[in-house]
Amino acid sequence: MSNDKKLSEVEAIKQNSDGLRGTIQESLQNEITGSISEDDQALIKFHGMYQQDDRDLRAERAEKKLERLYTFMIRLRLPGGFLKPEQWEAAHNIAGEHSTGVIKITTRQTIQLHGLVKSKIKPAIHQFDEAQLDSIATCGDINRNVLCSAHPGQSAIHAQVFAYADKISTLLLPKTNAYYEIWLDEEKIADKKDEDDPLYQDRYLPRKFKIAIAIPPNNDIDVFTNDIGLIAIIENDKLKGFNIAVGGGLGTTHGNTATYPRLGTVIGFIDSEEKTFKTVYEILTIQRDYGNRSDRKNARLKYTLDKYGIDWFKEELEKRTGFPLDVARPYVLNERKDYYGWQKNHEGLWYYTVFVENGRVLDNEIVALKTAFLEIARTRKANFRFTGNQNVIISDIKEANKIVIQELLDKYHVIAHTENASAIRKNAMACVAFNTCPLALAEGQRYLPQLISKIEVLLSKYALEQEEIVIRMTGCPNGCARPFAAEIGFVGTAYGRYNMYLGGDNQGLRLNSIYKENLDEATILKELDTLFNIYRQQKNEGESFGDFTHKYLNN
Amino acid sequence: MLVKSKLNALTALVSDATYDELIWMNGFISGAVSVNASRPAVAAASVKIDKITIVYGTESGNSKKLATGFATKVKQNGIAVKVASLDQYRLNDLPNEGYFLVVVSTQGDGEPPAAAKKFYDHLFADKVTLSNLKYGVIALGDSAYPLFCKTGADIDAQLQQLGGTRIATLQKCDTDYEPIANEWFEQVLSVLKNGTDGGPRPQTHAVKKVDKKTYAGTVVTNINLNDKGSEKKTHHLEITAEGLVYEPGDSIGIIPENQPETINAILETVGINADKIIQYRGEEKTLFQLFKKELNIVYLPERIVKQYGTIVNQEIPETKIGLLDLLKIYPVKDAQQFEQVVNILEPITPRLYSVSSSLNAHTDEVHITVCRDKFYINSEERYGLCSGYLGQLSENIQLNFYVHKNNQFRLPHSDKNIIMIGPGTGIAPFRAFLEERDATRATGKNWLFFGDQHFTTDFLYQTEIQNWFSTGLLTKVNTAFSRDQPEKVYVQHKMLANAAELYDWIHSGAYIYICGTKEPMSVDVQEALQLIITEQGGYTAEQAKAYLEQLEEEGRLLKDVY
Repeated sequence: MSNDKKLSEVEAIKQNSDGLRGTIQESLQNEITGSISEDDQALIKFHGMYQQDDRDLRAERAEKKLERLYTFMIRLRLPGGFLKPEQWEAAHNIAGEHSTGVIKITTRQTIQLHGLVKSKIKPAIHQFDEAQLDSIATCGDINRNVLCSAHPGQSAIHAQVFAYADKISTLLLPKTNAYYEIWLDEEKIADKKDEDDPLYQDRYLPRKFKIAIAIPPNNDIDVFTNDIGLIAIIENDKLKGFNIAVGGGLGTTHGNTATYPRLGTVIGFIDSEEKTFKTVYEILTIQRDYGNRSDRKNARLKYTLDKYGIDWFKEELEKRTGFPLDVARPYVLNERKDYYGWQKNHEGLWYYTVFVENGRVLDNEIVALKTAFLEIARTRKANFRFTGNQNVIISDIKEANKIVIQELLDKYHVIAHTENASAIRKNAMACVAFNTCPLALAEGQRYLPQLISKIEVLLSKYALEQEEIVIRMTGCPNGCARPFAAEIGFVGTAYGRYNMYLGGDNQGLRLNSIYKENLDEATILKELDTLFNIYRQQKNEGESFGDFTHKYLNN
Repeated sequence: MLVKSKLNALTALVSDATYDELIWMNGFISGAVSVNASRPAVAAASVKIDKITIVYGTESGNSKKLATGFATKVKQNGIAVKVASLDQYRLNDLPNEGYFLVVVSTQGDGEPPAAAKKFYDHLFADKVTLSNLKYGVIALGDSAYPLFCKTGADIDAQLQQLGGTRIATLQKCDTDYEPIANEWFEQVLSVLKNGTDGGPRPQTHAVKKVDKKTYAGTVVTNINLNDKGSEKKTHHLEITAEGLVYEPGDSIGIIPENQPETINAILETVGINADKIIQYRGEEKTLFQLFKKELNIVYLPERIVKQYGTIVNQEIPETKIGLLDLLKIYPVKDAQQFEQVVNILEPITPRLYSVSSSLNAHTDEVHITVCRDKFYINSEERYGLCSGYLGQLSENIQLNFYVHKNNQFRLPHSDKNIIMIGPGTGIAPFRAFLEERDATRATGKNWLFFGDQHFTTDFLYQTEIQNWFSTGLLTKVNTAFSRDQPEKVYVQHKMLANAAELYDWIHSGAYIYICGTKEPMSVDVQEALQLIITEQGGYTAEQAKAYLEQLEEEGRLLKDVY
């Protein structure tokens, strides 16, 4: 409908996949390779997995006449980022038994495990299923994990909004039973009509699709970086409805000027649950029908929107929903942060937000996060919530149980670790990148912590250590750690080289822009040294680094 | 009886003769007696012989091949013949045997092959009387080993001890055994045809020590094929040598060198200089030279340990021990005693490795696949001498080797289908087979079964196998990785899982090759084959066994196991 150009290869794979089945079963049975076929690699994403390989080992293994060390990453579907303690314990055990053992909290409030070899996928999914967890549609051209502002202490209506995340996720699941057939050995469905999918049909979406719900005033989940952003409108502690923002998305491609990061545009307000779901659903059908299916680099909703225009989009949406959008209501998003340490909600339940550097839950010589979380889970006295900044909130703790949790957090140095981390480290985020991400051009989470240590020295030189500057780094311009919505963004261009972006605001309402290209570490530090010095001397009272650089560099 | 000059000459001749020379002289004299003397030397009567039993004890199949070859010729001469493998021979029949030929090889350090063990023990344990027995023994071996053809020699001597009469003296054969064995047999045959009196007395021929062509090779590649985290170290060595000739299925023999650290430690312990020249079996050499390249000092056989005990006058318990530890625990008195010790030491024996390449794919190159043989002594990690030596060889190092032919393990005609079962280093000859079939565009189908501990770290030659599969050279590949799941999965399980198709291949004439450890692998694989034939072919277990024996008979079930 949208164009006559040749469809991208993935389109044919999806359409011929027999409901996302492809030849995954045959690929799993192939005894001479740890990989799956190329087509199946595209399909397995819809089941929540990526095939990866250890890029550090490629050369060495090739010499040994061994193929690449193929493994799979599996990502759970956790709308709003919530696990019961028994589920955390299950994930802990599955990670130890089948993967690298590290549990990775993602930038989309879920957890993922790396390093599963092909033969371990089914056992892992079986165990997740026993814990009532699945990985359906957490990757692929489909609606991904739905985000929601993480902290229940933030608002009395948190639980009410949080429920939306789960309902939207369920509403937008694919109808195929392939996941259950392939991974959980369920019988093949005899009547294929049961799998008819009016939303995704056999084409699914042209590209990935992301939805987030923000509870003002906190923009912790970066609502405007999503294809659909819902902003809860609260009046007198009552949820009135949502402002709808569309067309956010950060992924770009180096050297392709037709690609760009874009923040969502607020197009109106809707006031009931039913209308909210209908609106969300029809935004997907518009993108399904009008999104670019020939060039995957230009296929996100943001490009569809810019191609056809906001007015057309609203009109088309109203035509499809059958009701008009109201005028957007006023709202204020004036922070984008996790509330570290102890917090209490309106019902008197306690929350402890733990700093987890780059979301990697493991034990090291400073802090035993993994052991601490396991022991907390075993008490069954706390739930686990994940933030969009890759941190963990030990949640919903009754007053009487707080002391038990406090002792465990202390015992494994979790509190000291959280309190001692600098402001800049706590606001930093990096993607996985090397050694497993096939897209990585430069290091991400393996490198950023070291760089932060060097930046900390510069900040203390200018007495700026209390500034909550948001630094984000990705190994490629795809934007997983949302670097274009940071005050200082680093985007990898080659090994050890990064483009540097400045001028984004602290709250995630303004994108940054390119400052300098292909910088190595020494140059990065030299540039920051100069900028911090100028910032210290010239900033206004309370002016954030992002706002200052935005003004400074545009003058 | 002899005049003094003759006696002196004979004494001199005998006194510094080796065991083998003595045996030969014995045969020579016996022969001379039967030809020249008027008195019959051995069996008295001149009777026409109508029946003979030929038994064989085989490891690689060479003895069997000789035995069945003899049997055919005997039959062609109108004499009834019974041929049996020694592990199937009924020991109770022995006292009733008349004419009786034994073809037997010797393993490693003078051991009988597994199939001959029962027979060998029976001869030495039981008090049997074999006065009817008219026998001959032909012994196969490798002169590179100190106890060359020991099993055959033992059997030959013991049969006489038990009352048997030789119709031919013991014939020892080196690795190039066929010409000399056939010559010996022709003479035995003439005795059988003409009666013991009728023709020339069969003579023993001098053992023609096979002058194995030694190649001066250069190691050009040495890779550990196992990835980090593996419990194994399997080295892929590529060696170049000019004018190299071998065939897939062959092995190469390598004489390893001792580690300089061990040699230095020995010399330090006894306080003797490495450059000291000593007499070793009539030759003058420096100690270092002897220790580095010639003498086995690492794991000494029991008999050497015993002799050492006699020299130092100490009781030494039986144990796997090297010279260094012996010297430390039971020190020698002085340099002279040490020289005595050096003189009881035996040469380093060669180790054989199946060739894993084809000359048609790599001119002037031979590849081998060596698993480092790791074991523990007093919880200390040790490596086998040769695999340890090869594992640490760096590129461009010179390495001498010879080719050890194995005509019992050859590819069939290019249009025949083959099934290759080779877990672990058992993959080696099959890599050679596949390279050969690829290079020669053989049209037969190829099915490979491979197994090891872990898929991720231990899949030997994985990318090569993948390439052969994608180009269609390999029709089918099945793998079994034993430790990737709670229950152990081995190649035989994969064979059983593919029973119908496997039977189909076998039934349609495919050749089956098994390479790797003899026990338990080859036994389990053979059992699996029998089960597959039973179930898929609708046979009884007995019939399936006979089916497999028939395959072996036809040369369609071939083994290279160790």
